[in-house]
Amino acid sequence: MKKGWRNILVAALSILGVVCIVIGSINMPKRTSEEGLEIIQKLRVRSLLSAVGDGVVDSYIAIAKKNATAEVKAKGGSMSDIRKAVQDAEERVRLEYQDAETNYLDKDVTDVKSRLEEFDIALGKYADEKVKAEKEYRESHMAEAEALAEKKREEASAQGLEAPPEETITVDMSGFEPTDNMIALRVEADEVYKKLGLALMEIEPQLSKDALITLQQRVESILYHEERDFATLYDGYSAFSGTDVLDDVNKAKLIRYADDFITVGVALLIAALAIFFYESIVKAMGVPRLIISLFFVLLCVGALLFDLSLPVLLGNTVVRMGMNSIMVLAMFPGIQCGISLNLGLPIGLVAGLLGGLMAIEFEIPGIWGFAFALASGSAIAAVAGYFYAKLLNRLKGSEMSVTTYVGFSIVSLMSIAWLMLPFNSLKLRWPLGTGLRNTIGLDKSNFWRILDNFLAFNIGDFRVPTGLLLFMALCCFLVWLFSRSKTGIAMRAVGNNRRFAQATGVNVDKMRTIGTVLSTVLGAIGILVYSQSYGFMQLYTAPRQMGFVAASAILIGGASTSRAKISHVIIGTFLFQGVLTLGMPVANELVPGSTISETMRILISNGIILYALTKSGGDTRG
Amino acid sequence: MKDNYILEMQGITKRYDENIVLEDVNLFVRPGEIHALLGENGAGKSTLMNVLFGMPVIHNTGGFEGQVFLDGEKVDISSPNEAMQKGIGMVHQEFMLLPEFTITENIKLNREITTPNIVSRVLGKNLETLDMLAMANDARKALDAVGMGIDEYIQVAGLPIGYMQFIEIAREIDKTGIKLLVFDEPTAVLTESEADNLIKVMKKIAASGIAIILITHRLDEVIEAADSVTILRDGKLVANCETKDTSTVKLAELMVGRKGESVVNIERRKLKADKVALQVKDLHVDMAGEEVKGVDFTIYEGEIFGIGGLAGQGKIGIPNGLMGLYEATGEVSFFGKPIKLGDPKIPLSNGMAMVSEDRKGVGLMLDESIEDNIVFNAMQVKDEYLIKFPLFSLKDSSKIRKQADNMIEELDIRCTGPEQHTGTLSGGNQQKVCIAKALTLQPKFLFVSEPTRGIDIGAKRLVLNTLVRLSREEGITIMMVSSELQELRSIADRIAIVSKGEIVDILPPDAPDADFGLAMSGIKPDTHREVREEA
Repeated sequence: MKKGWRNILVAALSILGVVCIVIGSINMPKRTSEEGLEIIQKLRVRSLLSAVGDGVVDSYIAIAKKNATAEVKAKGGSMSDIRKAVQDAEERVRLEYQDAETNYLDKDVTDVKSRLEEFDIALGKYADEKVKAEKEYRESHMAEAEALAEKKREEASAQGLEAPPEETITVDMSGFEPTDNMIALRVEADEVYKKLGLALMEIEPQLSKDALITLQQRVESILYHEERDFATLYDGYSAFSGTDVLDDVNKAKLIRYADDFITVGVALLIAALAIFFYESIVKAMGVPRLIISLFFVLLCVGALLFDLSLPVLLGNTVVRMGMNSIMVLAMFPGIQCGISLNLGLPIGLVAGLLGGLMAIEFEIPGIWGFAFALASGSAIAAVAGYFYAKLLNRLKGSEMSVTTYVGFSIVSLMSIAWLMLPFNSLKLRWPLGTGLRNTIGLDKSNFWRILDNFLAFNIGDFRVPTGLLLFMALCCFLVWLFSRSKTGIAMRAVGNNRRFAQATGVNVDKMRTIGTVLSTVLGAIGILVYSQSYGFMQLYTAPRQMGFVAASAILIGGASTSRAKISHVIIGTFLFQGVLTLGMPVANELVPGSTISETMRILISNGIILYALTKSGGDTRG
Repeated sequence: MKDNYILEMQGITKRYDENIVLEDVNLFVRPGEIHALLGENGAGKSTLMNVLFGMPVIHNTGGFEGQVFLDGEKVDISSPNEAMQKGIGMVHQEFMLLPEFTITENIKLNREITTPNIVSRVLGKNLETLDMLAMANDARKALDAVGMGIDEYIQVAGLPIGYMQFIEIAREIDKTGIKLLVFDEPTAVLTESEADNLIKVMKKIAASGIAIILITHRLDEVIEAADSVTILRDGKLVANCETKDTSTVKLAELMVGRKGESVVNIERRKLKADKVALQVKDLHVDMAGEEVKGVDFTIYEGEIFGIGGLAGQGKIGIPNGLMGLYEATGEVSFFGKPIKLGDPKIPLSNGMAMVSEDRKGVGLMLDESIEDNIVFNAMQVKDEYLIKFPLFSLKDSSKIRKQADNMIEELDIRCTGPEQHTGTLSGGNQQKVCIAKALTLQPKFLFVSEPTRGIDIGAKRLVLNTLVRLSREEGITIMMVSSELQELRSIADRIAIVSKGEIVDILPPDAPDADFGLAMSGIKPDTHREVREEA
């Protein structure tokens, strides 16, 4: 019975999907064909004419208002009389020309059409030149702007203000001067506009030369779009003029939404496949990973439908994956050595933060500062992890609650410590009173984006943070190598089956200690990698939730509380961060100004941990 | 003659899927008699009682065939509660007592005597006041009936085990209308004097007209206490007789018997017991439920030394203690070299290996692949299957794969490949992986504990044949512990029978059934030879 329904559903979905793709791919090539060009042309002319028409009406209204004012003034009327007369005049003129627009449809516009075409090309040339020149200007003045921003930040910190977490540096464009090339093209475009004006005057005799000049800017703003693909132009023009000029609106719409049809069609086919191979997929992926993967695909589709830039979003996802990956990797030795999810990860995190603070305090610049932070953070983490492991070895069997409480406790303890520690650098301290700041901005003098920017390059809009990815790969490789060593294998046996390991004479407590220390050290490295990419070090309560986020990421990747692989780390971090990165803009499109994305993060991370706990007692084989 | 029986169970057959656990069993109990239900572990005693009590495990697996008559009336008991109401009580092996409650409260638990009060008149019967005095009187009566002079207001926690047993009995007796009382191996946890006392009490209860079913595998107890006896073997009724017509030797024979065909047929051989492989003196092992209380034995090179006995008597403790898995004391010498107990690494690195009875708990990493399981011991103990670097060493995947492939072929492990997780294998194949793990250590001596438990007949045969081959062809000395006496008799050279943590007798495999039966019942050879002569 159930299978029958499923097959029907699969068939329906696939048929629907195929239909969508077929419609989409039939209509897609029409965009660049005669048909598509004609639609755009028609809309463009229509936009122009309605702009012209509006201009004409506006000028009549202005004249009528002026006359009315003069008339009432002559009669010696009061201010309210003037106001009323002006209002009446405007209404009268509007009524008079209300139906005037339809007239354009009957007029011969072939001349206007060709002139318009010319003007569009000339304008395009100028605008492109302008964009290019502005870009050059921006690039050449970037250093200046950065220095300015830096100075502002320093001033702010000198006054004891929190530095604004500004992500992008904007160049002041007020000094921009048009280049010679631009001027030449501008002149050329103006010439063409004059010809267009003549053609317009032929079909709209009332149009004065002055009106044409005032109209020029408006016409340009309607005509020019930076992106010149079919969809943008169609949306731009039809938003302005409506689509009643077209012979067949539905046909045009099909062409306009052809790409969305294809996207939806592919999504439907994926859904159909997923349902068809449900059992085997669930078996191979596990329920949480499947749900999150589907959700991720859904968000990708959503991003495409809302015309968001997928490459940029995916690029952000990759960066966020890189910055979170080491913290997620820290879960790996914990799971392998049998302490299950190391929710006491904040121990490692605060150790890493301490290392980072020291690097800034001692003013060790650039890569050496980062290396020093890593080394000192790891050393602190190793010592703290050792005592943490001693505690866990005494409390075997209830690691989950112990690690959680230890995580919370250490964060609270360190919240006191941050206020007391004898750091002196002004970058770290509150300028008034004692204690460290809440968020400490990193900059070029220390390790701001030291990994992200190493060998980074762009593929289109997709920025590849090479150094970050390399560092992630290196850490994963080293941990993987360790898991294949004699000690690593013994450690895994302890986590997998303690009595099995004992029966071979493996020192269970020692292996658990090694795993815990390794996990804590990775936590320290992880927070530093995270901070350098984020641009800030967050103290006080910020590290409290990070353990949970890391734990749920590895679980989404397919790990269980007793079993994990490196691939789980990478897949899990990518999916988890992908859902968050894509979720925010898509959710904002759906429900503007909402905090759905944040709610989603909490839901996913806690829900997944809960799910994993329900599974941890029983069959955990994936 | 129907009216003469308080309980008749006729033609009881119970199947779990294809597996027949009871086949056409009859049980007749007269009022006021002690009827012994005798059989080895797994003979079907518990299943028969589950049928009698209408346990859910019976109904959830398709019910049973046959009829039950109580007092000559056909009954259809569908729950333990119903059984209780019909006057059938049970004294459990594990005591069902609340330690923090007094004896009185335990005896009257859920059958409290209550008097109404103001609150209960409004809010119902559950809030009535307890009439402690009346309850204590009842408890006193019941305690007197079992001959216990103890104060009825004492808390149960901290009482000696023997007392708890009597409190349980007192509770059952206190139930009004009790007609039949089942004692499930009541003497298993008692000292000898306590056991004697218990039998006296049972006789007293029986004299008052209550019938008793005594589940046991202790022959002397049957002879001493029971009026009649029903013997089960492998789910079949073997005999139904009066105690006065029989003897321990006869009972022993009936209980052990030859259970059908042997799983494997191995040619006997003459063992040249010239070189001592393992000598054990005064071994004590502290393993809960399988305690070993001082055993001595000598195993010769090339021998297959079997250890048999009933469950919970300590036979499993012997290999576990020797391999250092549980705390143990005693003198052990292995090929003349003394071995320190307590650290698993020492016996492993000296050439001993073990196939544990607890496959899933101790024998395997269920979440790891077959190959990782197989080489784990050799890697950790002998540093094999590793590529060594100056500071660390990595696993040698190709060598591991080769060994795993070899073992899979040699032991016929049915799997999708060496990367399959052991948790997804069948029991028999898991056992083969355990054996492969032990063999990869290339041991001189192999402990095999319950190698055929929970695996199908084909795998059993393969496992047993493998053990014989290892012994005959590779010269590995083997100590095999098994609850299946038939298996031990088919492949072992000598068989030690363990009871109450001690070795009762060491027998050749072709010794008479009665000898095995008596030994398993804990009757020492010097005494039972006399018994036999009498018979």
